[in-house]
Amino acid sequence: MTPEINDTVNDLFHHRKSVPLTPANATFFRSEGGLVSLTLRNDDGTEETFERVAVIRAFPITNPDDFLSVREPGKGSGRGDEIGLIETISIFDAETIALLNEELNRRYFIPEITKIYSMKEKYGYHYTEAQTSAGRVQFVMNNPSNNIRTLEDGRVLITDTDGNCFCLPDPSKLDKQSYRIIEIYL
Amino acid sequence: MKLQYTLPDSLEAALRRVVGEEEVLYSLPYDVEGDAFIEDGFLIVTRTKILRGRGDEIVDCKELKSLSDFTAEKLYGSAGLYAKENGKTILICRFVSGKHLARYSVVARACEDLAKNASAPAAENDEPEQYCPTCGRRYLRGTHFCPHCRKKSEIYKKLWNMTRGMRLMLLFPIVTTLVGLVLRFVLPAIQRIAINDFIYPEEGVERGTMTGFLVVIAAIVSLDIFQRAMGVLQGRISAISGNRFTLQLRERLFEKLHSLSMSAISKKTTGDMMGRINEDVSTVQNFITNLLPGYVSQVFSFVFALAILIWMDPLMCLFVFVPLPIAVFAILKFWKYMRQRWRRRWTLRRRTNEHLHDSLNGIRVIKNYGNEEHAIGQFSQKVDHQASQDERTDKIFDTFFPIIGFVLRLGNYLILFYGNFLLFGGGMSVGALNQFNSYAGILYEPLMQINHIPRNITEFMTSLSKIIEVLEEEPEIKDKEEPRDIKIGGDISVRDVTFGYDSYNPVLEHISVEVKKGEMLGIVGHSGSGKTTLINLIMRLYETGQGQILIDGVDIRDISQNALRSQIGVVLQETLLFSGSVRDNIRYSKPDATNAEIIRAAKMANAHDFIMALPQGYNTIVGEKGYSLSGGERQRVAIARALIHNPAILILDEATASLDTETEKLIQDALNNLTENRTTIAIAHRLSTMRGADKLLVLDHGKVAEFGTHKELLDQRGIYYKLVMAQTEAAIAKG
Repeated sequence: MTPEINDTVNDLFHHRKSVPLTPANATFFRSEGGLVSLTLRNDDGTEETFERVAVIRAFPITNPDDFLSVREPGKGSGRGDEIGLIETISIFDAETIALLNEELNRRYFIPEITKIYSMKEKYGYHYTEAQTSAGRVQFVMNNPSNNIRTLEDGRVLITDTDGNCFCLPDPSKLDKQSYRIIEIYL
Repeated sequence: MKLQYTLPDSLEAALRRVVGEEEVLYSLPYDVEGDAFIEDGFLIVTRTKILRGRGDEIVDCKELKSLSDFTAEKLYGSAGLYAKENGKTILICRFVSGKHLARYSVVARACEDLAKNASAPAAENDEPEQYCPTCGRRYLRGTHFCPHCRKKSEIYKKLWNMTRGMRLMLLFPIVTTLVGLVLRFVLPAIQRIAINDFIYPEEGVERGTMTGFLVVIAAIVSLDIFQRAMGVLQGRISAISGNRFTLQLRERLFEKLHSLSMSAISKKTTGDMMGRINEDVSTVQNFITNLLPGYVSQVFSFVFALAILIWMDPLMCLFVFVPLPIAVFAILKFWKYMRQRWRRRWTLRRRTNEHLHDSLNGIRVIKNYGNEEHAIGQFSQKVDHQASQDERTDKIFDTFFPIIGFVLRLGNYLILFYGNFLLFGGGMSVGALNQFNSYAGILYEPLMQINHIPRNITEFMTSLSKIIEVLEEEPEIKDKEEPRDIKIGGDISVRDVTFGYDSYNPVLEHISVEVKKGEMLGIVGHSGSGKTTLINLIMRLYETGQGQILIDGVDIRDISQNALRSQIGVVLQETLLFSGSVRDNIRYSKPDATNAEIIRAAKMANAHDFIMALPQGYNTIVGEKGYSLSGGERQRVAIARALIHNPAILILDEATASLDTETEKLIQDALNNLTENRTTIAIAHRLSTMRGADKLLVLDHGKVAEFGTHKELLDQRGIYYKLVMAQTEAAIAKG
């Protein structure tokens, strides 16, 4: 099947056309349920209001503030249609930014690790105990070599088997004991 | 899956003050709030209310009636339960996704039902639990096995059962090591006689005769020979028992894996299953035949040596013990440190290898983009890093290993020191001192190992548990007590089927389709709309959740799996040819097919001509290591394979999707031969494949969007109509 046909087929099943969202055509406001609502002014002058929108980062790791995809909430893992893209969050006013960030913080829960107490391997799992910005946690990794990822800017991301994500902003700033535990996987 | 967590007493009391005696249907922990993890949050659902409890207080209580559209949504790093309260979306609570998403999804659906009808039945909950209900820890990867909680004795008992038929052989190494051990203890005693009576007799003692000396020497030599002979025997027997044990276990595992249903298998990765059959079995075997006898002998030798030392000279024994704590401490520290260094070395090596693998595989891409320098730079950086780390690790090892050796000898030095005092004082003979020193050496020997033992034991337990888990797994799809072996005519009837690979995430919802014998059904839909899933259900690779599928009016659950699948032919988009000849591949589903039948099938599949052009005709080896066929050729071999047993039902799952038009034409012709007189279900993007279809089914997100004949659907001007228009336009544009 040629790519053009593929696109057409997909178009047939997906109804919305995504537009760039700017302060000129998009007004975000707090919904009655405490989440984010959006009023979108279409090119033809009509207005659409979405009671709740999901805001998803296109580059959650490298550019968390750029290219935010605003979507209709979908079933389950979020297969809702894209309403539009925000190229960068700073084009909006402070109030909107705060509102969007509030939603983003709800969606992206990545506590920072400040201290590592222990990491023990048993029965094929690595049980780790650490202090994070979200409290003291115990988490389990399958395979630390795959679950611990060092980014180009030196940050370290850790994902565990339960779906938690942790961030280590700068491993070299950890205390000696913590550093020694994590060092072997960096 | 656990949906009722026990509430703390204080919270339970608070709950009762709010809801009275109302029954708690579901209670789940919610463990994320704001920007912190919490431990004391619970979401509670009764028949009429949904509540949130925190600590010993109920912080939120809503009437289910006022809520709708419950969804558990996966976020990043957590997940949330959303609902609409009088039409406005609210976030009820957040939780750790991996642990609780499946639970919350089931509860969300249950809430939906309860909100509409307070007496709705309890939610269907057949999702397997992933966490140990006793200790809350995750089960062993891919299993339902908690090694922390499962009784060790039970596991050992299973192992004992596995060794049936080879127990004596497996016990033999332990026996021989024990015999070897006794000999080791005898040797120093004989040496003592040799020294005291012959080599260096104490003053006043008559030196023994030459004959006597020769007897002693002969004893020492024959002991040595005997010991070695035992070693040879042990090695030979271990080789037999170990291999037999491995063979038997691997066969059982392989057999078991094939009896499991697709749903159980698809939850395991190929790598994981290969690991269990290869590595885990080896680990267990190695432990039993090699490591275990060693450990047994070490324990015994430690105890023996200790007992003899105390019996010989309790005071001197103390000297042996003075350095013991230092030695143990030093060894533990040393290995712990070295293990970390080695682990790091391993990680770095793996990374370098990955990089190497990537760039060698992608060398064309690198060259195409002129990126050689960048690739070289990256590689040398990795190698440099690895080299410097290796250097450091080796230096550390080479410095500390001799030091550890010295620490272990400290005991011997102290013995010599004190022993010499005794010697000069005449309190001890030279032979006795030598004997004492030898035993002290035996006592210290196991120490070098103490760090490895616990590690090896957990590794052994892990592997053993994984093996036991597979052996104990019950196939999910089983034939009825008396399954029917019907001759399939070809009527297929799908009635109100709802199904999801995870029960909380339905892929198909309320699907009903009727296909008569000899008809062709075409299925159209975007990727992920559930086309292949529907086919999997018809083949009963998975069990339908709700609803039923009938073939010739018989529920497929009443038909034996063998009868069902042997009368269905399948051609998939990705064709797997096994390593072997073309002939073997075609007759795969009917090994006793005659050559005439094979040629007939190949002709129907339009494959005969290209097969005849192969160097060895039907005997040409294809597959991984053999002659490489083109995609279209492979596909036609697969069609011949599907045809060979003349199936009543033929399934084509995007069988022509990845082929060029010309090959497609050939295959299309082949398919036209195929679909005569049999029920055919075809999934295709290309509508040309669907030309012959009697009925068409358009799926959209797991639901039936349109169903009818070609003409009916065109008249409806729906999705199918647009699709036809789009493809016609594209075809015209292409000219």
